[in-house]
Amino acid sequence: MGIIIEAGDAIEVHHFATLIGYGISAVYPYMAFETIRQMVKERLLKRADLADLNNNYTKAIGNGLLKVMSKMGISTLQSYQGAQIFEIIGLGDEIVERCFPGTISRIGGISFDNLAKDILARHQLAFTHANPNNHRLPVGGLYQWKRNGEAHLFNPETIHYLQQSTRRGDYDLYKKYAHAINEQSEKAITLRSLFDFKKREPVSLSEVEPAESIFKRFATGAMSFGSISHEAHSTLAIAMNRIGAKSNSGEGGEDPIRYEKKANGDWERSAIKQVASGRFGVSSYYLTNAKELQIKIAQGAKPGEGGQLPGHKVDEWIGRVRHSTPGVGLISPPPHHDIYSIEDLAQLIFDLKNANRKARINVKLVSEAGVGTVAAGVAKAMADVILISGADGGTGASPLSSIRHAGLPWELGVAESHQTLVLNNLRDRVVLQTDGQIRTGRDLAIATLLGAEEWGIATAALVVEGCILMRKCHLNTCPVGIATQNPELRQLFSGDPDHVINLFRFLAEDLREMMAKLGFRSVNEMVGQSSDAMKVKDILPTKKLESLRLDKIIQRIPESDEHGIFHKKNQQHLIKEVLDRKLIEVAKPSLNSREVSVGRFEINNTDRAVGAMLSNEISKKYDGDGLPQGTIRFSFRGSAGQSFGAFAASGIKFALQGEANDYFGKGLSGGQLIVYPDRESSFVPHEHTIIGNVALYGATSGEVFVNGIAGERFAVRNSGANAVVEGVGDHGCEYMTGGLVVILGDTGKNFAAGMSGGIAYVYNAGSQFASLCNMEMIDLEPLDFEDISLLKQLITKHMKFTGSKRAETIISDWADHMSLFTKVMPREYKAVLASRKGVQLKQTA
Amino acid sequence: MGKPTGFMEFNRELPETRDTKKRLDDYKELYVEFPEKKSSQQAARCMDCGIPFCHNGCPLGNNIPEFNDAVYQSNWKLAIGILQSTNNFPEFTGRICPAPCEASCVLGINKPPVAIEHIEKIIAEKAFELGYIQANPPKIRTGKLVAVVGSGPAGLAAAAQLNKARSYCDCV
Repeated sequence: MGIIIEAGDAIEVHHFATLIGYGISAVYPYMAFETIRQMVKERLLKRADLADLNNNYTKAIGNGLLKVMSKMGISTLQSYQGAQIFEIIGLGDEIVERCFPGTISRIGGISFDNLAKDILARHQLAFTHANPNNHRLPVGGLYQWKRNGEAHLFNPETIHYLQQSTRRGDYDLYKKYAHAINEQSEKAITLRSLFDFKKREPVSLSEVEPAESIFKRFATGAMSFGSISHEAHSTLAIAMNRIGAKSNSGEGGEDPIRYEKKANGDWERSAIKQVASGRFGVSSYYLTNAKELQIKIAQGAKPGEGGQLPGHKVDEWIGRVRHSTPGVGLISPPPHHDIYSIEDLAQLIFDLKNANRKARINVKLVSEAGVGTVAAGVAKAMADVILISGADGGTGASPLSSIRHAGLPWELGVAESHQTLVLNNLRDRVVLQTDGQIRTGRDLAIATLLGAEEWGIATAALVVEGCILMRKCHLNTCPVGIATQNPELRQLFSGDPDHVINLFRFLAEDLREMMAKLGFRSVNEMVGQSSDAMKVKDILPTKKLESLRLDKIIQRIPESDEHGIFHKKNQQHLIKEVLDRKLIEVAKPSLNSREVSVGRFEINNTDRAVGAMLSNEISKKYDGDGLPQGTIRFSFRGSAGQSFGAFAASGIKFALQGEANDYFGKGLSGGQLIVYPDRESSFVPHEHTIIGNVALYGATSGEVFVNGIAGERFAVRNSGANAVVEGVGDHGCEYMTGGLVVILGDTGKNFAAGMSGGIAYVYNAGSQFASLCNMEMIDLEPLDFEDISLLKQLITKHMKFTGSKRAETIISDWADHMSLFTKVMPREYKAVLASRKGVQLKQTA
Repeated sequence: MGKPTGFMEFNRELPETRDTKKRLDDYKELYVEFPEKKSSQQAARCMDCGIPFCHNGCPLGNNIPEFNDAVYQSNWKLAIGILQSTNNFPEFTGRICPAPCEASCVLGINKPPVAIEHIEKIIAEKAFELGYIQANPPKIRTGKLVAVVGSGPAGLAAAAQLNKARSYCDCV
């Protein structure tokens, strides 16, 4: 039986998602339609056709629902309806048990009476006795600050105090700012505002560890170059490097010019390099230039969504750094295509650790119920740092439906993660970090007491750089030169590293004062001392808030003496005896003096990430260019483990006789990888799978020749490598933005989904090929003149390197076979290439 | 919001003032005529900030981004409605207010601020012209009678508020 609901207060996407998520089949939002009618009557809309306008509204809600469902990994409305995938914050047991039985509701909250009062209050606003001729409803102010609207932590007063105090270096003014943020009294914008500190034996301020030693615990948020301007991005990096803290590259890669220190000692290099699902510009050289590598599983403000950069923000520079085509929009896929389980994550951690032994590996999770279990798994998967990201952060360009309705506060996530890690004797192995609108020393103190020993600050740092929360980050029109790539607007950027440093100095001093008051001499002493040093406020500002259950957040789990409650020891990464140590030995002549080295090795499936550490050595010495092609010529025989040739740098040429497991050539960075079946095998190569799933994921350059079939998701997010393979499984070339893929055999379904760049050539595709492709962004075309010579070249190379019989057949009768190729061409990419050609022609003319 | 790129396309521009000598002879408008299109362009310069500092800077709390957008759309009825919800006499403040809104305008950080005061005046003038400024006596009165002493802008504003609160009111 279907249930149809007629409701006046179903207005925005989240309302519909919740109704459908709890089983409703259809919604009639009569108030929304009435509002549209009224707007037409009052000439508030440019168009007057009511039916069209209603359709537009319905369509917009529908699209919003699609977005919400896709975030949860659900494809059909049928699967979403009644799925009840929500977490409740602020509803009391009375309501939850009756209306939402089974849904997680951790902190309790309001009753039916409270709800009734809210509804009555709204009713009175609508049906007041005031003059009906000039009756205006209150302004709201959820997404835009209003004097009489919803309270926001950042408002004209706090922004003014923060900017002025850091510009002038005025700590007293900063204290005014901190006071204004901390004193939320009746508004109670955050959970932490409901906590208080206990009275404890203080120590003198001079006994507390100095600000300088606290600096290393600070990071700035992961905002990519692309989402924010070069000026805004590099100013943060310079400031953080000056004080020994860490800035974050974000997921958009980083221009190598920033890796070199400037003459005055300043360094624009981001200490943290992010590895997100898009893998933009994630090369061996990129990974080598980091103190920390952060795997972004999700974003606190919009869990489940990948980053999106609209085409108008992708200029020449950003296109180059991201290894993509300028003008073509970029979508980060929601999942990492190489992570489908905790074991996969452990593999990626291992790959990255091999790619840079000195870097800490950080895994970014978001606050949600159950994150504690995930964190325990991540700790066992050998992460060095776990970041719990809260919901309030990073909302600049997020979709409106995510700003208020996705993610949870970090207080809940940090408490749960810390408590679970302590309970499982894992806490000492990892650093716990948190972020999401941390603003003051008080916020830092509460985060620390709940269990986080490092903290990320993003919005506050941007405000110091001049951000005034325009909330136009997605429009490229930021008037202070931060969230824009428009050169004219970038010139208006007025941020200064000194101001940013002032912010972190003030925050550290503020925290130190808190520590002195609470009697902690060091941050380590303070981590996780929740219930010993804090409590729920004795008097809560409103009756409504008294119904909240906050004790669990601050409960303290007894720790074992051996393992303790803060980071004490490093993870035992299993990289001491990897095959690469041997490879590096044999490659010494190449590494030291660019001489050719040759070697033969037996390999088996316990040898994982072969080539990653060697590539790290190449990148350290020879930067992004690496060594000349074919300098290190190693051949292997056997069954290679996962991530064979991961991040292989230029100069590496690996020939594997045998087969390889998943993630073959992950993040390929200029190297050449060749695979062909064992000489004793008898199978027909183009009929058998020889390399596993997710090969070439995130490859940026290099060449691959596979004498056999590849598994599923071949060359996903490839942005520049060329590959010849004799067949692929499902989802081939998904999200590809560059490079060439030649397939001398069958493809699976959903080929070229989301492919916005690069070209694929498929041999003898047959009439059913179009039905296997995802045609949303591509066209199927015959070859043109330029393709033919390029293709012949690649296939000849394939034949030479692998001895492929199929390649031999094709090349031996090229004239006949070349017409059997279908070209898979992304439309946007084609348009950009054509316009560029036009420019070139004009220049030569 | 009006036009996302308006602030990059248009510069701040105000109507010119009349010749001083001529002005001495009358009590007429200080400014010469300003085409409506130009006022609309001035309104298009508003960036509809996430935190409208103008709205904070205005002692009355005028909802400035909203009425700027209405002017950009040439919807004068809406514009005067928004303006009157916080301001009883835009025809005064549009002329003689020191305009702290303009001093706090975000665009003013690195460009000349939005011409808010001018826009306010235009809304008031246009509303008079189109007949939108009407007496609005409440249908039901509380029955209370309040005397306001003095009938300058402050006294009149107090009276207007009392009228909205459904009291009878006499200015003396």
